[in-house]
Amino acid sequence: MSNKELYSPEGLRLDGRRWNELKSFTCKVNTHQTSSDGSSYVQQGNTKVMCKVNGPLEPKSKANSNNNNASITVNLNIASFSPVERRKRPKSDRRIKEMMTILEKTFSETVITKLYPRTQIIVDCYVLSQDGGILSAVANSVTLALIDAGIAMYDFVSSINVGLYNNSIPILDLNHLEEGDMSFLTLGIVGKSEKLAMMLLEEKIPFDKLETLLGIGISGAQRIKDLMDEELRKHGKLLISTAAS
Amino acid sequence: MVKLAGLSLNEQEFLTDSLKQGIRSDGRSLDQFRDVEITLGDQPGYVDVRLGKTRVAVRVSGSITKPYEDRPFEGIFTISTEIGPIAGAFFENGRPSDEEVLVSRLIEKAIKRSGALDVEGLCIVAGDKCWNIRADIHFMDFDGGFIDASCIGVITALQHFSRPEVTVSGEQVVVYSTDEREPVKLSILHVPICVTFALFNPKEKEENIKGGADGNEEAGEFAIVDATMKEEGLSNGTLTITMNKNKEICQISKSGGLPAEGLMVMDCANKAYGIVEKLTDQIKEVLKQ
Repeated sequence: MSNKELYSPEGLRLDGRRWNELKSFTCKVNTHQTSSDGSSYVQQGNTKVMCKVNGPLEPKSKANSNNNNASITVNLNIASFSPVERRKRPKSDRRIKEMMTILEKTFSETVITKLYPRTQIIVDCYVLSQDGGILSAVANSVTLALIDAGIAMYDFVSSINVGLYNNSIPILDLNHLEEGDMSFLTLGIVGKSEKLAMMLLEEKIPFDKLETLLGIGISGAQRIKDLMDEELRKHGKLLISTAAS
Repeated sequence: MVKLAGLSLNEQEFLTDSLKQGIRSDGRSLDQFRDVEITLGDQPGYVDVRLGKTRVAVRVSGSITKPYEDRPFEGIFTISTEIGPIAGAFFENGRPSDEEVLVSRLIEKAIKRSGALDVEGLCIVAGDKCWNIRADIHFMDFDGGFIDASCIGVITALQHFSRPEVTVSGEQVVVYSTDEREPVKLSILHVPICVTFALFNPKEKEENIKGGADGNEEAGEFAIVDATMKEEGLSNGTLTITMNKNKEICQISKSGGLPAEGLMVMDCANKAYGIVEKLTDQIKEVLKQ
């Protein structure tokens, strides 16, 4: 695939979006009522992620027990059928382990862990289909599942990635073809603020472009937060109306 | 990063309180990098880096192997890290901990993914023979700043290393010993340097997240450059920025931890650039000798 087709001179991307348009975002909460305390399903374009939260519960091992805070354990399963070309990845893959640690650290800071001392919160994420931005989709789904489980949090964590095309044009919410061809920044924003809970950049970008990317990423993440909030409120209303009748 | 290794509550409070007033236990200012001492070994490719009390030894070696099937025109470059009890009693032998995975991934991203080493130049016969350059990082002593020290170590060792000259005639590959022909330096495309910031939040967690909303509240959180082990243990998260002298950011990693204002990250990046410039010059100076 040549580099030029990723962003046409008319300002359209491969999938017909403009530079600042998100992939279609849909989410559901409470998808697995019996097997978990909280669950969610997030779909960002063709990236599909499912998440289950169990806990706060008694730690399975002493190592996960902390006298002051709850400990959060994140498991990430990337299905071998999820990429375009079927590929089995061992769970010990360092990239997956890295993502798990990042998620654990991010959510340990946003969940009010001091309310649940000596407990463990287990988060299981399943990536069913990949089309770019796995880490952000997983982070979004974890936020929703934690809220669904009724675990106290300071605020939402909403996440998105921003790429830089030709070292000049910023592009929001990349798909997997775009991700393969340009360097991108993955951001996780706390609530409505402009505070970065997580931030990852893996390839080179010029220093003076960082600010632009941050700005666009923050506004994109806030849009994701609004969409998640909307869905949660809808779900809450539904719960109340069924309880009332 | 590492669990607080025997730091009493009194000492913890003392350190955070003095940091709040802008005073560090070793007399540095908040944005001052420790002095780096780079020693080159007798053999090409061996470098010893000291960053305060942190000590890292890096050894670069090369061998000839078959390239990966999906990359027939590229040589192989691997970075391996080993953190054992020699670096500190709190590091365990055997299975790498989550922290270690993060450290090694970070170094890999900073140097390998950013394309610091020209792997295409390592190809000898396409699809059949290529150089396998391997950098082994040994952590000898730990007092914070593993990532920064090992990044300096690897990039210096790569520039210091030279591989034997190889010629190809038809099917035949001849490797000349270093006495026969002058060994060849590796081609290094740019020099990435990592700078790690430790983030501190002197206030309550809630204030950090909610405080910014009313506008008049001054953000209390601050970042310090190149934390020692004690400071690292006390911090509420770290931010590592990798840059090179061309003002390109090679890698940023802030895995969780204290939520930081975008402006603060920009400020950190600016500070990082100053340090990167200085260190690049220092490495150049050392290699000239």
